[in-house]
Amino acid sequence: MSKIGVFICHCGENISATVDVERVAREIGGMEGVAHAIDYKYMCSDPGQTFIKEAVKKYGLDGVVVGACSPRMHEPTFRRACAEAGLNPYLCEMANLREHCSWVHEKSEETTEKAIDLVKMMVEKVKKNKPLDSIKVPVTKRALVIGGGIAGIQASLDIANTGHKVILVERDPSIGGHMSQLSETFPTLDCSQCILTPRMVEVAQHPNIKLYTYAELESLEGFIGNFKAKIRLKAKSVNYSTCTGCGACIQKCPVKKIPSEFNAGLGTRTAIYVPFPQAVPNKPVIDRVNCNYYKRGACKICEKTCQVGSIEWDKEDEIITEEVGAVVLATGFDVKGTDFFPEYGYGQYKDVLTGLQFERLASASGPTFGEIRRPSDGAIPKKIVFIACAGSRDPAKGIPYCSKICCMYTAKHAMLYQHKVHDGESTVFYMDIRAGGKNYEEFVRRAIEEDTVNYVRGRVARVYEKNGKLIVKGVDTLLGGEQVEIEADMVVLATAGVANCGSEQLAQKLHVSYDPYHFFAEAHPKLKPVETNTAGIFLAGACQAPKDIPETVGMASGAAVKVAALFSNDELVREPVVAVVNRLAPPLYSTCVGCFMCETACPYNAIEHEEIKGRDGSLIRTIARVNQGLCQGCGTCVAFCRSKSIDIQGYTNEQVYAEVMSLLND
Amino acid sequence: MKKLRDRAAELLSQGVVSLVIGYEEGTKRPRPLFCRNSEGAEKLIFDSHCFHNLAVYITKKELVGKERFAVTAPISTLRSIMQLYVENQLSEEKLLVITVDLSGELREFTTFDEIAAYVAQFELKRGEREQEILSKIEGMTREERWKFWMEEMSHCFKCYACRSACPLCYCSKCVVEVNRPQWINPWPAPLANMEWHINRAMHMVGRCTACGACGDACPVGIPVDLITRKMMEDLAPEFGYVPGQPAKQGNALSSWKLDDREQFIR
Ligand SMILES: Cc1cc2nc3c(=O)[nH]c(=O)nc-3n(C[C@H](O)[C@H](O)[C@H](O)COP(=O)(O)OP(=O)(O)OC[C@H]3O[C@@H](n4cnc5c(N)ncnc54)[C@H](O)[C@@H]3O)c2cc1C
Ligand code: SF4
Ligand code: SF4
Ligand code: SF4
Ligand code: SF4
Repeated sequence: MSKIGVFICHCGENISATVDVERVAREIGGMEGVAHAIDYKYMCSDPGQTFIKEAVKKYGLDGVVVGACSPRMHEPTFRRACAEAGLNPYLCEMANLREHCSWVHEKSEETTEKAIDLVKMMVEKVKKNKPLDSIKVPVTKRALVIGGGIAGIQASLDIANTGHKVILVERDPSIGGHMSQLSETFPTLDCSQCILTPRMVEVAQHPNIKLYTYAELESLEGFIGNFKAKIRLKAKSVNYSTCTGCGACIQKCPVKKIPSEFNAGLGTRTAIYVPFPQAVPNKPVIDRVNCNYYKRGACKICEKTCQVGSIEWDKEDEIITEEVGAVVLATGFDVKGTDFFPEYGYGQYKDVLTGLQFERLASASGPTFGEIRRPSDGAIPKKIVFIACAGSRDPAKGIPYCSKICCMYTAKHAMLYQHKVHDGESTVFYMDIRAGGKNYEEFVRRAIEEDTVNYVRGRVARVYEKNGKLIVKGVDTLLGGEQVEIEADMVVLATAGVANCGSEQLAQKLHVSYDPYHFFAEAHPKLKPVETNTAGIFLAGACQAPKDIPETVGMASGAAVKVAALFSNDELVREPVVAVVNRLAPPLYSTCVGCFMCETACPYNAIEHEEIKGRDGSLIRTIARVNQGLCQGCGTCVAFCRSKSIDIQGYTNEQVYAEVMSLLND
Repeated sequence: MKKLRDRAAELLSQGVVSLVIGYEEGTKRPRPLFCRNSEGAEKLIFDSHCFHNLAVYITKKELVGKERFAVTAPISTLRSIMQLYVENQLSEEKLLVITVDLSGELREFTTFDEIAAYVAQFELKRGEREQEILSKIEGMTREERWKFWMEEMSHCFKCYACRSACPLCYCSKCVVEVNRPQWINPWPAPLANMEWHINRAMHMVGRCTACGACGDACPVGIPVDLITRKMMEDLAPEFGYVPGQPAKQGNALSSWKLDDREQFIR
């Protein structure tokens, strides 16, 4: 017969105020198989734990049940205590008498009876518990960082500086992300490129960082500490080992009218191109969609101009495999285009711009060399209107959230405009000004007070073109909803920050969760902001939600620390709460019939095929096997297996059945 | 018929296969025939009365052995074979499938793709009996249906003939034999019978190909096949399944598609 020890905790008064803990201990003490049952004020305290340890030895307990708080809180505590007393830690279970009972019920007879039932269930379960060993898995100490914006750059550098290898994968021909497109940055107005470029160069030169630009993740298999990443290196059509980056080819390329992505469509680029002068790497790629040769089979002018013969016409995409132990997702965000707004002209008006386009106008490296000029006629706008919350905080547009950065960059834009166009007049339409952050409120006040930006609280209902002017119709809600009409030369929309294109597919490849707006989901909104629900995959930057540079960099360093902490172990220890497929003696080998329904059900791809072979090497049967590193113990397969051949260790069918039956057999 | 016999004899004598599973005349209706030589093949028949689902034998290792074998299969059996293939229970190298098509010609399949293409031409229709009972049941309220099945199932005495007849009940240990824990009480009684039949239905959902073998086998005439058949029919509108055509991947209850039309699931 079992010898179970039961320890009921008062949790100060948290439990004992509504549950008659002494009665619980008394009644459970009378249960078959219970050798010892007591109650105590704080089981988790040192003396409390000592009671457990001593009882294990004194009564030779083969199972322990602690009726106390949530196992999330103290299961490790009590399991450790049992282990110290020589009992396998997985023979110790907790009944949650606090969250599941005392906190949710009034003091009454029934509350105590429920507590008794909860403990009883655990006693019946523990009778069926088996000693388990924790699982050890080796760690590959190399990190994969996906996305080379400031988040990916910072995370890569931080990890690389702890001495570990990093593989940085960037989709575009250069790293840098949105920050490379910005002019000056709030709240200090320092030049974005000037602070970013040194870091980009550092990435390229760091001995621990392997950079793949123009590359994308194809697939990710494996589990924490042991991932296998397949990476597609898109064909650049230029051999980077011989190309000197001289740029002669770019000068000569006849296809010159392609809208430049870097300039947010305001400038043009050639078919063979480097996205911007400070690009890293500073070598061109051929955009095969627009190149004359790939389109029509003739041209090859770049090949003729290239002194070192670096053009590779027949180069194909290459898929490489890298083994890594952790992944940092840093794929950033995007902004809605002006075409998203019927009320602001559906993107037809050339002088209605997005904030990102305005950044390019204001940037010294931009299409107008930093002068604010209208895309339509090149004139300097004398009246400019900024519209904050364009799309954001608008449930009707499907974007109920605040994009967080727009209030600040709109203030910045208005300020930059006033600095550049001294006789100009700027108006900002806003819903609220959200300027939480160090020196942020002061920054906005400076725009209003020193730079005389006209702030109007209200929505803009419509923008339309009339005689070369943009008529902006809005209301001023602070003046009792008074109509405001401005004849502007330029309108800038602070369009909503949205998830980057392809983020949903990427999340599915990585098995990480994402929110309804396709931003990646953190594991806990407060306590696990850089973790995902998939162990070993971390988040950095605006791929989790729109955020500014300081926050992005902080988060990236946070993710890097998590990776470094993971890499500080040679082996990972995991709870053995994983699925197992039963094994029996020959000729049965297992009751598994190899239907692999479990394989189709497993959300973590943890089910593998195991071939059972005879002595002569001939195949006897193929059955399922669980990869213990991948399995998350969710139990989906268990529900699916018709022959009940698969079970979760620590939560076997038998154990859970015993729990349920203990209630029904009363 | 002659063509079939000749071909079977040829396959056996040439050693292409070591066994042909087919039909021979029985007392009331055709019965299964296992021929291992050309003399045995003389007794083979194949006509519209041959509906006993022979796919039930082809997962039995002790019967089919290690060598290649052939099976004659009407359309319903072909469906079962496809489902067994989806569930990793068959291999192409070991199996030769023979049928007689509508024009009376012999057809042989060596790959499952060929079978799938052939099966896809045939729509699954309810027969007279199925239509009669199912339309009656479909007209009932929830309570009436429960009463109907409780009454029907109360006759079950757990002979498990339905299980033995089903080609998809190939587990080496069925859930009814699992006793740690004992999921299903072994005795025949109204509640214990329901435990068995609800389990059976759940285990067949998305898999049953509506061959009807289980209902046909039941000695007390419980229309058990209609439960699983109806579930299968209902999968079509809800999950985009084609009734009677095996699901290529997994099962309606386990598989998940990127382009699922339900938004909440994504
Ligand atoms: C108009 C505007 C003005 C702003 N002004 C300021 C400011 O003044 N101050 C401030 O602090 N912040 C500002 N911000 C915010 C700032 O841009 C962001 O905080 C920052 O860019 C976030 O960095 P990130 O690396 O997370 O994302 P991103 O900059 O978006 O970088 C993501 C990178 O990942 C790459 N990528 C995407 N998908 C994949 C994939 N599948 N595989 C591989 N690579 C991929 C992208 O190509 C890109 O290089 C502004 C934003 C906007 C829109
Ligand atoms: S464990 Fe169960 S579901 Fe998985 S292959 Fe084996 S029998 Fe099928
Ligand atoms: S418990 Fe969940 S994760 Fe583990 S093998 Fe089963 S389905 Fe997969
Ligand atoms: S009809 Fe009956 S015998 Fe045929 S597959 Fe369905 S459950 Fe099995
Ligand atoms: S064949 Fe009929 S009697 Fe036998 S177990 Fe099945 S339903 Fe019950």
